[in-house]
Amino acid sequence: MIEARNVIKKYGAVTALDDFTVDIPEGKIGILGPNGAGKSTFVKIALGLIRANSGNVTVLGEDLDRNTIDIRRKIGYMPEHDCIPNSMTGVEFLIEMGLVTGMSLQSATQRTHEILGHLQMGEEKYRKIEEYSGGMRQKIKLAQGLIHGPEVIFLDEPTSGLDPKARQEMLETINGLTEVSGTNVLLSTHILQDVETVCDYVIIVNNGKLQMQENVKKLMQRQTDVIQVRIGGSTEDFVKQLKKSGITATSGGRGLHIPYVNDKTFEQIVDSAVKSNCQLYEMERATITMDNVYLEVVD
Amino acid sequence: MKEKAQVSERFREFKADLTSRPSIVLGMGLRGFLRMLSLKNQWTVALVALIWLWTLGFYVLLSTGDYPCENLGFWDSSEDFKRCQPLVYYNDLGLGGVRLFLVTLAAISSSGLIANDMTDKSLHLYLSRPISRLDYLIARFIPVFLLLMCVTALPNLIVYVNQWGEAGLEFDWIKNHKWLLLDILILGSFYSASYSIIGLTFSTAINRESWAAGAFFLFVYGSAIIIEIFHLMINDDRVLLLSIIHLLDIIGFYIFDTQPFFTAFGIEGIDIADIEVFGVFILIIGSCVIFVNWMISQMEANK
Repeated sequence: MIEARNVIKKYGAVTALDDFTVDIPEGKIGILGPNGAGKSTFVKIALGLIRANSGNVTVLGEDLDRNTIDIRRKIGYMPEHDCIPNSMTGVEFLIEMGLVTGMSLQSATQRTHEILGHLQMGEEKYRKIEEYSGGMRQKIKLAQGLIHGPEVIFLDEPTSGLDPKARQEMLETINGLTEVSGTNVLLSTHILQDVETVCDYVIIVNNGKLQMQENVKKLMQRQTDVIQVRIGGSTEDFVKQLKKSGITATSGGRGLHIPYVNDKTFEQIVDSAVKSNCQLYEMERATITMDNVYLEVVD
Repeated sequence: MKEKAQVSERFREFKADLTSRPSIVLGMGLRGFLRMLSLKNQWTVALVALIWLWTLGFYVLLSTGDYPCENLGFWDSSEDFKRCQPLVYYNDLGLGGVRLFLVTLAAISSSGLIANDMTDKSLHLYLSRPISRLDYLIARFIPVFLLLMCVTALPNLIVYVNQWGEAGLEFDWIKNHKWLLLDILILGSFYSASYSIIGLTFSTAINRESWAAGAFFLFVYGSAIIIEIFHLMINDDRVLLLSIIHLLDIIGFYIFDTQPFFTAFGIEGIDIADIEVFGVFILIIGSCVIFVNWMISQMEANK
């Protein structure tokens, strides 16, 4: 869906993307990273809003250097911040966005009512947007990105500023609407739960560099084969002792990660702790969420 | 249930038939223009009506009296219609249509166009559509331009038709005064385009509608008053180029091929080299366009 090759983007002395190379497949893709990692910069480059200093980006098979504007006919965009004119009603706003994308009035009107129907908005769609709740505003923002039936929608922090209930609703709405419209999703966020809920593929970015890309299900499967251990005493001795038993431990998160082979692995860990005079504070087969992966990669 | 499934299928299969970029831009511009003339914008509509009444009222007054050219003092009364009549009808009429209320109308109508998009940040949504930054600016320029054309060119065109009527609706009169028709359109376009660009610059620089309108008005009128006083002190006509009103008026006189003058404290002729006049004009308008483009590019990059 999107290919980036050696993309460099600098804002003065700050390098937002540093020789960034990635192949993003079709589907629901999450770009995960801390604030300032370069996620939004990448989305804006992919949308043609800003130009990279060097490198090449292809979106849906179109080279952005050759076609920055017309490619947006195939792309929907939901910005992070609030960007809806309060003076319009929901219906007026969506029709206007459809017209600005190049739709006819009839087509924009029909599509507007269809999308708002899917969003289960009744009479409130005729109310001024200034009267909408935070969740409704986000939904309208999502709807404007889908109004012209794009092949892919870029969602920049779609749950930012929402309370937990509204966030869950928003994620369900994203899943529902993109499912029913068959739209690919590129979700940029620093919230792990969003990626877990919506995406089937994740890309982790930090300091403007690609850190990892993986299928979410495979990632979770791989990571559950880990025992998380926290010890007191000499970690070095403990790791050496484990090595003698043929176990390689890696540091991760709050302690050590030890590959789970079978239940005997627990006994080997206890033995190693005893032999290296370490206190075993915690030993559990990790219930891995995206948090563990994220922290590991980002740290 | 069946109906719901059909809707979903249509929703999934939806492929928008999207129009070309010029059509999108023109559509945005025309919708903006119609919104300006809607009754929601009472002040804009009222001002347009006032300018029309004022202009036509002036015309009735002038056309019934003599208002001879020699009253202009320095003017040679033996000059033919081309030298004199436009000044009477189209620049003095302009006291109503062009000078007095045009600035107010330009301030009110242009101040919110980009400012509101920047304040509510909907600018980002527009720029994520298949239009370029320049397309967006043209789309925001069109409504103000058309509105100002309504009060610059249109009343004068009515006056033109009326003059033609007074001349007995002779086709020869039209043939002999093609230049006048052209000049009316050029003058109208010139004033409308210049004030639109300057207005949109203020709308971008001060992204609060009412402040932008006030600043635009003060800049245009305030600088005119200060410059006229300054002109009295240093007595150099070039200082008039620093006032937008005077600068546009001078070029307006050029369009009608008449000698420039201004009427601060009595009528005074203006003596400035053409290159200085057009140089300053291009500098101002060019700076405005570059500034607006730069401001919007900064917004694109930063959030």
